Amino acid sequence: MRSRAALPSITAPPTSHAPLPFAPTAETLEAAIAYIGQAGAASGSAVTAAERRGAFAAYGSLPVPGGFPGRSWRYNYAKLPFEDLRWSSGRQSVATIPFGALSASADPDADAPALATENAGGLVHFGATLLEPPGPTAADKRVIVTSLAAARRDHAALLAPVIDTIVQPGDDRFAALATAFQNCGAFVYVPDGVVVDAPIQLLFVNGEADAAAVFPHIVLVLGAGARATVLERHAGGGDAFICGVVEAHVGPGAQLDVVTVQRADVEARVFMRRGARCERDATMRWHLAELGGALARSVVTTTLADTGARGEAAALFFTGATQHVELTVHTEHAVGQTTSNTVVRSAATDHGQGRFFGNIAIRKQSHGSDASLRDDVLLLSKAAHIDSIPALEIAANDVKAFHGATVGSVDEEQLFYARSRGIGRADALRMIALGFFEPVISRFPGERLRDEIRTALDDKIDAATEID
Amino acid sequence: MSLEISGLRVAVEEKEILRGIDLVVEPGKVHALMGPNGSGKSTLAFSMSGHPNYHVLAGSVKLDGEELIGLPPDKRAKAGLFLSFQYPAAIPGVSVANFIRTARMAVNPDDLPPAKFRKMIFEQLDVLDMDPAFLSRYVNDGFSGGEKKRLEMLQLAMLCPKYAVLDETDSGLDVDALQSVGRSVNALRATEAGAKTAFLIITHYPRILAYIPADVVHIMMDGRIVKTGGPELANQIEREGYDKIRDEVASSVA
Repeated sequence: MRSRAALPSITAPPTSHAPLPFAPTAETLEAAIAYIGQAGAASGSAVTAAERRGAFAAYGSLPVPGGFPGRSWRYNYAKLPFEDLRWSSGRQSVATIPFGALSASADPDADAPALATENAGGLVHFGATLLEPPGPTAADKRVIVTSLAAARRDHAALLAPVIDTIVQPGDDRFAALATAFQNCGAFVYVPDGVVVDAPIQLLFVNGEADAAAVFPHIVLVLGAGARATVLERHAGGGDAFICGVVEAHVGPGAQLDVVTVQRADVEARVFMRRGARCERDATMRWHLAELGGALARSVVTTTLADTGARGEAAALFFTGATQHVELTVHTEHAVGQTTSNTVVRSAATDHGQGRFFGNIAIRKQSHGSDASLRDDVLLLSKAAHIDSIPALEIAANDVKAFHGATVGSVDEEQLFYARSRGIGRADALRMIALGFFEPVISRFPGERLRDEIRTALDDKIDAATEID
Repeated sequence: MSLEISGLRVAVEEKEILRGIDLVVEPGKVHALMGPNGSGKSTLAFSMSGHPNYHVLAGSVKLDGEELIGLPPDKRAKAGLFLSFQYPAAIPGVSVANFIRTARMAVNPDDLPPAKFRKMIFEQLDVLDMDPAFLSRYVNDGFSGGEKKRLEMLQLAMLCPKYAVLDETDSGLDVDALQSVGRSVNALRATEAGAKTAFLIITHYPRILAYIPADVVHIMMDGRIVKTGGPELANQIEREGYDKIRDEVASSVA
């Protein structure tokens, strides 16, 4: 048995302006707009007051997503509690980018924080406060890694064609909320032909005591033939409310891997909407591990906009205690000769709940598209529940589309086989459950990252009161 | 010191399959348990290992004096029992190396540092004509019949049990694979620890006994051991089939 992951305790850096109590109200919005006006360039704002008001109006008029009806108020999107949350926006100078603040390693004896040394630059946010180093934030001078606020000032020509085009504030209620209250974010630009080997890390960490309202907006732009891996991580957070947007534009022939590791604290609520647009012969690969939070809603949309484009998604979630995770993976074959592959594994134990929506849309003219969607569910306790809801919308004739799904508990013959070798019931169940996730874990880049996810899953099994 | 089965009666889904088995296997000996399909051979193997679907109605299975009936499967393995499955389950996502290492630690927690484990498992792979790449594959996942049986033999060698039950290990094997299995068992028996391992070889055909000679041969029919003899009994089966013995048994009862 391994010890539980311990994130180093970090205290919140001071903000130049006192945080506002947060609630999704018009009063709070106006207070936030006034806050940004006072903070000026020190704030992380990348949205104008008019845009905020427009998005907030959309928030008010858009329908509340279904959520987990009939469940506790904690999981009902219409009745989300916002008590004690604090909204702020700013930056704090630091000597170096504290990637180690969010050690990827769950092993307290590890001599160096995993991944802290393997990166091509990146940004760390504490709550909505950007921790700003004096030096460059990208190892390669041709690559831009900066806050979204700075990008709006300094790289408007690169940002403007992409921002709010892939995920729009009107896409759903939470995207609208994220825009209305945006208080931090990042912009990554990899020019034509530039290949970045190590991951660019975008870390969002929160202290345990600070119930921060964090609204990140991340924009990733890869030029023609560029290659990069972006690691987006969320950890800590106490009772934080995180609601954000990620937009990725993958240029012709470019390849982008986005790895999301969500390990927010058990009381945190995380709402993220991510979208990618792939141009001709571009490849987008999503790797998602939704491990933390009391409630996480994660939407991933990939639009294959030109021939030869390829979209892949490998996602896993594991809900324990009373966690709820809702994951949507939507792939849009807008034109023909495009390929997609989605693999999802989810498990739940104790009173963990989950729901997976897997959507593939192949438009009328999209002949020669090839889509596959595979999701498997493992239920490890009597009260655990996961719904798997696939939808294939195929309007073209000449396409290949595969869908397969299973829902089940641990196979008795597997269990007996392992136990007949002397492996105790609990260890055998652990082994089988971890093995269940391997087809998704093995698609994550980097052995250290894969090991982190294995350890995180192992810790969740340790924490479970019922594994059966 | 022995594996002692006495008066064992076992039912599967209310139907009595084993109707009183008595059998004693001593360390270092090779017993063959032969019989036609449906005679209850595999039921005996599963019952000894503690499969939850096999309900013991009466009798006992004592391993060196320790009663196994009532113990969970992992405790039986820790006591020194090993079952080579006829149809081993696949465990996707769990590598062969990890599985065997975990099993070895479970049955013998105090020995074999990683380097020695590695050396030993590579030696065994060699005996079994297996590629080292095998170790990183998932347990029985997508394995051919021969690969599955080789993996069972690899586990047998690595776990070095006191008593090994080989359930139809020869079924579905070509000659090369059968030779590998024979080599592996004989290599184990040539070691100091393995020399004490006793085998109960469950088989339909006598051909595996050409590679692993039996000291004692039992014939099982309709849930009972109807005849016990030396190696020549296997040859008799080969020549005459089971019907002749069935007739013999019937006439002796009549």
